Amino acid sequence: MSDALLEVKELHLHYPLKKRHLLDKPSAFKAVNGVSLFVNPGETLGLVGESGCGKSSLGKAILNLQTPTAGEVWFQKTDISKLSNREMRPIRRDLQMIFQDPYESLNSRHTVSSILEEPLIIHSLGDRNQRRKTVSALLDQVGLPQSAANKYPHEFSGGQRQRIGIARAIALQPKLLICDEPVSALDVSVQAQILNLLMDIQQDMGLAMLFISHDLSVVRHMSDRIAVMHQGQIVETGNAEDIYCQPQHDYTRLLLDSIPQIAQ
Amino acid sequence: MVGYFLRRLLLVIPTFIGISLLVFTITRVVPGGPIERLMTQAQLGGETGGLTRSQSSGSTLSDEQMEELKHYYGFDKPLLAGYAEWLGKVIQFDLGTSTRYQDPVWDIIKERFPVSIFYGLSTMILTYLVCIPLGIFKGMYHGSRFDSLSSAVVFLGYALPSYVIGIALISAFAGYFDWFPLGGFVSDDFAEFGFWQKTTDIFHHAVLPLIAYLAGSFAVTTLMMKNALMDNMSADYMRTATAKGLMRGEAIRGHALRNSLIPIATSFGNNISLLISGSFLIETIFNIDGIGLLGYEAVIERDYPIVMGILVISSILYLVGNILSDICVALVDPRIRFGESRT
Ligand SMILES: Nc1ncnc2c1ncn2[C@@H]1O[C@H](COP(=O)(O)OP(=O)(O)OP(=O)(O)O)[C@@H](O)[C@H]1O
Ligand SMILES: [Mg+2]
Repeated sequence: MSDALLEVKELHLHYPLKKRHLLDKPSAFKAVNGVSLFVNPGETLGLVGESGCGKSSLGKAILNLQTPTAGEVWFQKTDISKLSNREMRPIRRDLQMIFQDPYESLNSRHTVSSILEEPLIIHSLGDRNQRRKTVSALLDQVGLPQSAANKYPHEFSGGQRQRIGIARAIALQPKLLICDEPVSALDVSVQAQILNLLMDIQQDMGLAMLFISHDLSVVRHMSDRIAVMHQGQIVETGNAEDIYCQPQHDYTRLLLDSIPQIAQ
Repeated sequence: MVGYFLRRLLLVIPTFIGISLLVFTITRVVPGGPIERLMTQAQLGGETGGLTRSQSSGSTLSDEQMEELKHYYGFDKPLLAGYAEWLGKVIQFDLGTSTRYQDPVWDIIKERFPVSIFYGLSTMILTYLVCIPLGIFKGMYHGSRFDSLSSAVVFLGYALPSYVIGIALISAFAGYFDWFPLGGFVSDDFAEFGFWQKTTDIFHHAVLPLIAYLAGSFAVTTLMMKNALMDNMSADYMRTATAKGLMRGEAIRGHALRNSLIPIATSFGNNISLLISGSFLIETIFNIDGIGLLGYEAVIERDYPIVMGILVISSILYLVGNILSDICVALVDPRIRFGESRT
């Protein structure tokens, strides 16, 4: 287990709650409440749980986008949970995230090419010409036309916007990609395309993924192993098939039962 | 988009006609017009003592004289005909003659331009120069002691009426301490000064009125800047920027700041009408001969050509300013394409 790419130990992320009156004790909402998990190189770990159970919060805490309240995040043999933004910078090359909302997470006043080029500039990868080539290769890779480069995010459909988000996340060729419900905001007909794109990219680049979703059937399709999250905690981890066929925990069984059975 | 703005520009014409027709009508129906004023003067000149007007009306001015006067002021024509005549002159840049000074209105207004533009421009520049950095700083360090303290100061200035500030300033710094002149735009012997002396003289006179002007205008722009920046700082794309590897300061400069300047840019065009509209209270307190004071006196004295002249200039500036605002917004926000039905 020590060769894991990412290892999370007893991670906590608490959001402070507003005091209702002067004498109220300062309290906190425990969005992530002692989570431990690991992801091996090249593997996909699915994280499943109902809306509001703290999946996005866990993703942000791992990436140190939201400083964890307690716990450790070991990534490539470094504990990144207590690093400053400056110290995080070189690590961010290898650790990227695709966000849940493909529209809000892109700066609406930047063109696609500047969105894709910015990470390359930040990490000083290549000169202008090389960066332009990288951008056009990225557009190819996620299946967007070259003409997309000079457009703004609002000129795309939801599915295309998520392709931009994916291109942005893989621009730095990370080793681990955290996908936070990359298709939950999309039409069912587009979901499969995006999921297939992600799997293709994973194979091409040998990525490890932490795939977050509230949809167990999507997670099963994508993942080698699955972790089930409930109210800020992991209640069960195991092989995708095992979780699906022999759930151990009551909550997992509940999740499984809630999948609508369409095809009989 | 060019077509859209051309259409907007054409719309200025009916809007302008609407505004001026309304005010023109008011000048016709409100009592105390120039003729009544002349009548009272004639009465007071002829007979001293408190005579009621009804008793003696017509006794000092003959009907013939009345007709002549009405004709002179154009009051003999029906409303719309009178308005059409006035508008016809305005189109030829003729704003008429002041009933009080007997000088061309345009000359009188033009004379006040330098003073008003000086104060308008200084207020505008200083407001942006102070409010934008202050708002940014307050947004970045929201909740800090500096934030609360500067909020208190800014709101105090906002809450106090500008004439109260003006009077307080003048009694403290021109009366008690004698650091600044008591009023006026320049010193009496201004004409004899050299260039450098002239400049310092103007600014020496301008310090107190400018503070009075600025005190109230800081709050709005500062808070607009601060709130816009804080909105953008908590936006999702800022988290993306951090994930790309930007430091907080870099992310703010590269992403949030530009996006939060948009509401400020929007307000920019509207402010050009501020250029010529001074506050008559401040102008009175500091004895500045600006357009605010001119307009106020013109209303009180029923000097309608001047009232209408100021209205023409300020409404055109206001209407054009609105269009300028929209152009600014379109320039800075790629999502906005005016006049296209497609989204
Ligand atoms: N910035 C915040 N401040 C306070 N509470 C928060 C904050 N962000 C999230 N929460 C709370 O933390 C809980 C978990 O939120 P989170 O976004 O991690 O859920 P999620 O599992 O991703 O849900 P979804 O599937 O709907 O995206 C929610 O109850 C939410 O109200
Ligand atoms: Mg979420």
